[in-house]
Amino acid sequence: MSGKRSLKTIISEHKTVFLIIFILIIGGSFGTFFLLDILSARNPSRITLATTTSTYDSGLLDYLLPEFTQKTGIEVSVLSVGTGQALVYGENGDVDVILVHSRSREDAFVNDSDLQTPYGINRACVMYNDFIIVGHENNPAELLPNNSIATVMTKLKEGIDIGNSTFYSRGDGSGTYFKELFLWENINVTPDVEWFGQPDKYTETGQGMAATLQMTYQDANSQGYTLIDRGTWFSFNDTYTNLKILAESVVGEDNLLNPYGVIPINPALHSHVKYNSVLRFVGFLTSDYGQNLINSYTKNGETLFHAAFGMCNSTHNCPTTEEEVSFWKSYQQEFD
Amino acid sequence: MSNEIIEGILEAIYLIFTLNPEVWSVIEVSFRVSLTSTFFAALVALPIGSFIGLREFRGKRFLSNLINTFMGFPPVVMGLIVFLLLSAGGIFGSLGLLYSTTAMIIAQFLLAVPIIIGTGKAAIESVDPALKETVLSLGANERQLWWELIKHSRKSIIAGFLVAFGQAISEVGAVMIVGGNIRWATRTFTTSIVLQTRMGEFGMAIALGIILISIAFILNYGLTRLQGGDK
Repeated sequence: MSGKRSLKTIISEHKTVFLIIFILIIGGSFGTFFLLDILSARNPSRITLATTTSTYDSGLLDYLLPEFTQKTGIEVSVLSVGTGQALVYGENGDVDVILVHSRSREDAFVNDSDLQTPYGINRACVMYNDFIIVGHENNPAELLPNNSIATVMTKLKEGIDIGNSTFYSRGDGSGTYFKELFLWENINVTPDVEWFGQPDKYTETGQGMAATLQMTYQDANSQGYTLIDRGTWFSFNDTYTNLKILAESVVGEDNLLNPYGVIPINPALHSHVKYNSVLRFVGFLTSDYGQNLINSYTKNGETLFHAAFGMCNSTHNCPTTEEEVSFWKSYQQEFD
Repeated sequence: MSNEIIEGILEAIYLIFTLNPEVWSVIEVSFRVSLTSTFFAALVALPIGSFIGLREFRGKRFLSNLINTFMGFPPVVMGLIVFLLLSAGGIFGSLGLLYSTTAMIIAQFLLAVPIIIGTGKAAIESVDPALKETVLSLGANERQLWWELIKHSRKSIIAGFLVAFGQAISEVGAVMIVGGNIRWATRTFTTSIVLQTRMGEFGMAIALGIILISIAFILNYGLTRLQGGDK
């Protein structure tokens, strides 16, 4: 008891000293963390990857990245965002490399034709999966398994118009959202004008795939539909048992294919990016070793992503050039 | 960066003066949800708060601690609770209220009630005890005393409303969870700013932020004038 009291007395007699010590400890620890952050930002053995929620939520990256780190000692920090935001991060040089799925915007990202330094260089096609349409199993829009995607979209449009179906759209500038707009466009529908201000018919969630799927599942009248990539779907199909795959790619049709590209950020534009570490990362992803890893990743017994480097052709919606293949050859050797 | 801020200011002006329907939808939803929830919370919480402040009873200290704890209740946890209650498998799932402004109002209401109880109670307690004695010595009954105390502490009480309203309109997590950020329906300033930032539309995000701050400022200014109006 007396010890406690004397401590109290000491503190009250030297208030200023204790206050200074206290501030020093707090300030010092903040400063240390700050310094550590700055140091790790310059450390070439740590790169930052901006990618889409689909590659992250499906668990693929958690499967691939430890292998890469083990082989090279390079750690990868992942920012899991939509394609739109990943591209913006890349443009601003906030990340070292991006892994996204929206071919037209990827091409614009690496485009150097208009005399401007391109944001990214040496894009590589890595893998693809496909999109499906899931909905409540009572299927009010009466989609059939052998319907072409154009028929599917037309039936959905009719269902939405007469009010027995609700489409849940990402509405967030993601690759999935752009794919959806493309599918509507193919049947000459512009969702924004068509169902303007009718959120009970065409619901723009403005959130990620998982949240949008949840909202589809919760649809009050059990009439929700949404477009989703197969990888994310297999992460949730056990949870949302009354949702079913109601439309998928029929043979000979590639509108629903979803190719992923990896793009290093251009060091000529952002000199601070860790370009050399990124080259090794892309070499890893596109090497036979990395491609086999991608093919071997399964969830609930289903392959989620198909390796596609060098064998992409027009039917896979992701053409690969000779130049692309030969450029990455030397970086792949490390892993083969 | 500074480019984006200037661009955002210009965009804010443009969006407001062109009466952009999307921005108006966001303004309408934000204010409807925040004002409705604060209003009903005030109706419920002010009598409770002033009652606790006025009376002495067993367990008052415990109750006060409880209220103080709930004043800082994490909004996302409240969002989660309301979500679980309203979701398809929840107790009130059959009402189909999830992803509606009503769900957002319920969550904001539950968050605002403890704040208004706490500030109301503190306002009543902070009135000079001499005033209480004077009023009682003039022969007032408890209801009259209560009314006098409310009148005297109205500035603090209104400040409490403002705190609750400010919390409601600036909250993100709960409205995102129970409202779902649906365009034209449940999208608010805050959830819209999150979305625009994620999409890299910084101009629009800053514009919405500026509009939000401006409206809040005007509202606060008006209420402050009101508070001091009858001096």
